[in-house]
Formats: sequence, structure tokens, C-alpha cells
Amino acid sequence: MIVENGREVVIRVRGLAKRFGSQQIWDGLNLDVYRGEILAIVGGSGQGKSVLMRVITGLIRPEAGDVSLFGHNAKTLLPQDRLDIEKRWGILFQDGALFSSLTVLQNIQVPMREHLELPQAMMDDFAFLKLTMVGLPPSAAHKFPSELSGGMRKRAGLARALALDPEIVFLDEPTAGLDPIGASDFDHLIRKLQQTLGLTVYMVTHDLDTIFTVCDRVAVLADKKIVRTGSPTELQRHPNHPWIEEYFCGERARAASPGQRARIPA
Amino acid sequence: MLKRDHQVVLPTQARAPGFRVELRGTTFRLVATGAWTVAEAAKLDAALKRLRVPIPPTPDFTGEMDIAGIAEIDTAGALLLQRTAAAWEKSGLRTRYAGATEGFRVLIEEVQRRSRAERPKLEKPSALKQFTADMTTALTGVASDAVQLTAFLGEVTSAFFRLFRQPWRFRTTSFVHHLDHAGFRAVPIIALICFLIGAVVMQQGVVQLRPFGAEPFAVNMVAILALREVGILLTAIMVAGRSGSAFTAEIGSMKMREEIDAMRTLGIDPMDTLVLPRVLALVVALPLLTFLGDIMGLAGGGLMAFAVLGLDTSNYLDKLHEAIDFQDFVAGIIKAPFAAGIIGLVGCLEGMKVEGSAESLGKHVTSAVVKAIFLVIILDAVFAMFLSGIGV
Repeated sequence: MIVENGREVVIRVRGLAKRFGSQQIWDGLNLDVYRGEILAIVGGSGQGKSVLMRVITGLIRPEAGDVSLFGHNAKTLLPQDRLDIEKRWGILFQDGALFSSLTVLQNIQVPMREHLELPQAMMDDFAFLKLTMVGLPPSAAHKFPSELSGGMRKRAGLARALALDPEIVFLDEPTAGLDPIGASDFDHLIRKLQQTLGLTVYMVTHDLDTIFTVCDRVAVLADKKIVRTGSPTELQRHPNHPWIEEYFCGERARAASPGQRARIPA
Repeated sequence: MLKRDHQVVLPTQARAPGFRVELRGTTFRLVATGAWTVAEAAKLDAALKRLRVPIPPTPDFTGEMDIAGIAEIDTAGALLLQRTAAAWEKSGLRTRYAGATEGFRVLIEEVQRRSRAERPKLEKPSALKQFTADMTTALTGVASDAVQLTAFLGEVTSAFFRLFRQPWRFRTTSFVHHLDHAGFRAVPIIALICFLIGAVVMQQGVVQLRPFGAEPFAVNMVAILALREVGILLTAIMVAGRSGSAFTAEIGSMKMREEIDAMRTLGIDPMDTLVLPRVLALVVALPLLTFLGDIMGLAGGGLMAFAVLGLDTSNYLDKLHEAIDFQDFVAGIIKAPFAAGIIGLVGCLEGMKVEGSAESLGKHVTSAVVKAIFLVIILDAVFAMFLSGIGV
């Protein structure tokens, strides 16, 4: 276990480098994710926000650098240990990435079926519980993903990510494509689940409202690395970087910042 | 999962989960210890199911879930505790929790609230009902397909005749593009397949006819078969698989991305821009490909005739002359434009039927190929009857 400033670091990224073709997207990227926080990764398009999530979760291999997951170096993990770590995280992809041939309930049960040996009745109990926890109506249980709206698909994807009660969830643009009411509901949901389940949340987002209402810390991707981390208000007050200034002090950011609206209490 | 000491620095080795039930005064206590997490849920579930629900002798007995010994808990553990507590409540024990930290309490209350939600029953229709419903959809599907295809044929025909009045509507570039893709680029594969089939039929024919001393007639068989049936059928099936599916996929993906709707709102008729060039290109390309297929089939037969019968080229050509005449060739090639029309229409119509999702696209591509091949074979049978009826 890695500890820094009295807080446990669940994920530590050091010296990451990645290029696609001739384009170097990061060079020497460092990042720490602390237990129990809601961390937002922001950055301009093409800075590799989603790619970073994929590198951390092992879907893409970096050219250089180390990723340590819960204190284990990802490079030296044996397949069995890697499986154990995969049980400890949940991932929500952009459009939910639900399996289209399974109902919502079966989708939520996939990780349980894969990793645990539970009686069917119990899996049903757990899946229903997760379903209602993410705010889906029970009637959605036996529907197929194609019968759900975009917002419901995201919630169902979140329920699947939470199926094994993970310690950390990765959210890829959780509020993208939702209407403001749906997005705001989702913000509340994330905060509520984070509190009830003691989650660590790592999210890639563009949504200034989400950042100002629920995120504890923001990491800014620019110039091929994480240029700054800090609380949203801190970054807004002292941007110290042209991109951050544009992002956090532009008209949209001023409209979304806590001066105008209340933060969901932590 | 929630740990008892949330910010703990040292890794706590959570003990294996367990519980015991005791009676203290008038309180039944379930003393739970260890890690009540989803990983241990199966074992806990089995043990809790064996547990008998205590029956209070007098109404002033109460229940207590003592979770002070629990080091880790998640929703699974909370649900198990909750289930036990609910069973105790039902038997008349007022049950409360003791020893919960703030985090544990929030989680347990949330689970308590959520587990009360009504569950919908999964309605499964009976097998017979399901079967009848499936049969009905299949049969009405055939009928509606026939209607749709006829209507589509009408639309395409009217669009085609409109071209004579308004020739500038014809998309030459698109027509040539599809001629290239569906016609010219199909040349190698169709040549190869017809050549091989011609050779195989010749070889098999010789082997089968040898006991009767009739192996020279294998040439007649191959020649008639290649010109009348094999050339057109093989080519049409190949084109249905190659180009019919491509038409569906192209038009279908445009439909998925609302490009067709955009066209309509811009005053562009998809019939003119998408359907007609494809269908016309196929109507031109398929007879040409069929001609190529015929020639290659005969050539394959010739090669095999040389190998197994020892016929050289001039002998083979002489025998062909005796075996076939122009009628046989026409009887085959006349079917090509009709088959092309069917493949093009089915491909485009299935593309137009694609809805928003990728699954729907895949489904329609498959059904385009299946329907096109099926209809081509029906067409072939109809032509066979018609041609023998008029004595060709």
C-alpha cells in the first residue's frame, strides 16, 4: 500500500509515455488517485483522457512508465493477481457498453457469474439491489439495452460496474449526452453512491457542472502531462496555465461555478 | 466495500466472516464478525439459511444485529443482514442494529430502503403460445415482404421511367462507381469459381458415365449445364453475396446515421441517388459477368476434358459445336438481368429497412443475402418451366 500525506494512493501512474503514429500524446505523465475521492480528469480533445483510463485499466499498453494498482505494479502482475484486481474495480464506458443480447438484470449479473459462485436467487437479489441503487425502475430489469434510453443505459452500465462492490469505479464521460436534469441526477447519484459504498471515483469528463458540484479534485491533462491537480475552486482562483484559465475562467465555467450554485455536500 | 476504519494506514487482514446467535436477557443477538463481502456471500448465505428464526416466547423479546465485530461490509453483506433482520421481524422480534459505524449505518439503511422495491415478474409465455406467435410473425413477414418488394419495384420502375423525361437526374458517377465495384472487381472471383466448377463437373461426369461407356457425352453435359444453369446461378449467387450485402450495408449505415433523412429534407430523392444507380449497374454488370462465367465454365471443362479424356482444344471445340447452339446460351443469359434486378432491389430495400442500431444492420444484411439467393433460385425455376414450355 502506498501512502502519501496520510492518504492511501489506490492508483499511481509514473512517467507514462504513449504515442499514436507520429503523435506523442504524453511524455512523463504522473498521477495519483487517493482512496475515497472523486477525481475528474479534464483536458482538451486529443489529449488522451480516455486513453489514460484505458492504460490504467490495462486495455492499452503504454510505451514507457509504470502503473501501480492498489500498490501492485501492473507490469509484473501475474494473470491470477490481475484477475483479483479486476474484481476490485468497475468501469462505466461512454454508452454503457451493455451486452446487447442480455437483459439489464443479466448484464448486471455477468461479473458475478464470471468471478463468483453464487446461487441464482442470490444473484437476482444482488442485481435487483444494484438496479434500484442506481435509480432504475424495477420494470427495467427484464428489458434489453436497445429498449432503454441513453440515460437509462448509463445507469444500467453503472449498475454492472458496481456489481461486485468495487473499491474504485472509472466513469468515461458519465454525463455526456444526458439532458441537464438527467446529468444533474447522475451527479447526485455518483456522490450518493460514493458516500454509501465508500467508492473512489475516477471520471473523465467535460462537464463543468459535474466538476463543480461533485468533484473533490481535478487533474488537468495538457502539454503531454498532468499539468496541475487541485480542487475545482482552487484551479479557478489560480489557474497558472493558459488552458486552465480558458477552461475554468471562461463564461461557461463562471456560470457553473459554486458562486452561482450549491455544491452537493460531501 | 466499507472498512471499519476508513482511513486506516496499515492493511487490516479481515478475518473470515462468521456469526453466532445468542440470547442475552430478552434479546436474541446475532453477533456477526469478519468480512461480510460479496466474495464470502455464498458461504454466508448457506449458513444463514440453516439458521432457525428464533420464536419469541413473549412479545417483549427483541432482536439485535450486533455488527461491532464486522471489519468490512458491502452491499451483499448488508443485504444478507437485512434479510435475516426482516425474517426476525416477521416472527415478531423487533430488531435493531448495534455497533455500526456511520458509514455502515448509511449503507445498511440504503439497502433496507432499496430491498423493499417491488419486483416485476418475468412473464414467460407458454411454449405453444410462443410457437404460434413465432409462426404468425414468420408468415405475415413473408406476406409483408412480398408487398414491400412489389411496392419497391414499382417505385424503382417509376423512377427509371422518369429518367427518360429528366435524363439529368441520372447519376453517372455513382453508376460507374457501382459498375466498377459490383462488376469489374467481381471478375477474378467469378472467373475462378466458374472455372473450378466447370472442371469439377467434367471430371465427375466422366467418372459417372464411364461404366456406361458414355464418357464423351460428359462434354455435352458440361456445356449445356454451364450455359443454361451453372453460369448464371453461380454468378448470381456470388453477386448476391458480394454486392447485394454491400448495398444493404451501405444504404443501411446511411440510414442509421440519418443521412437518408438528411437527403430527403434537402430535396434529394434517395431513389435517384442511391437505389437506381445500384440496380442499373447490377443489371448491366450481371449479364457481362454471366457471360464470363459461361466461358470460364467451358474453359474449366475443357481443361478437365484434356486431362481425363485426352481431348485437345480443337476436338473439344468441335464437340461443343455439336452439343450446344445459340439457344442454350440465350436461355442462360436471359435470366441475368432479372436476377440482377432481384438482387439489387432486395439489397436496397433491406438497406432502407435498417433501423437505428448496428444489430438491425447485421440482421438486414443477412436477410438481404438469404432473400436474394432464395428469389434468384425461384426465378431460375420459373424460367426453366417457361423455357421448356415454349420449347427452348
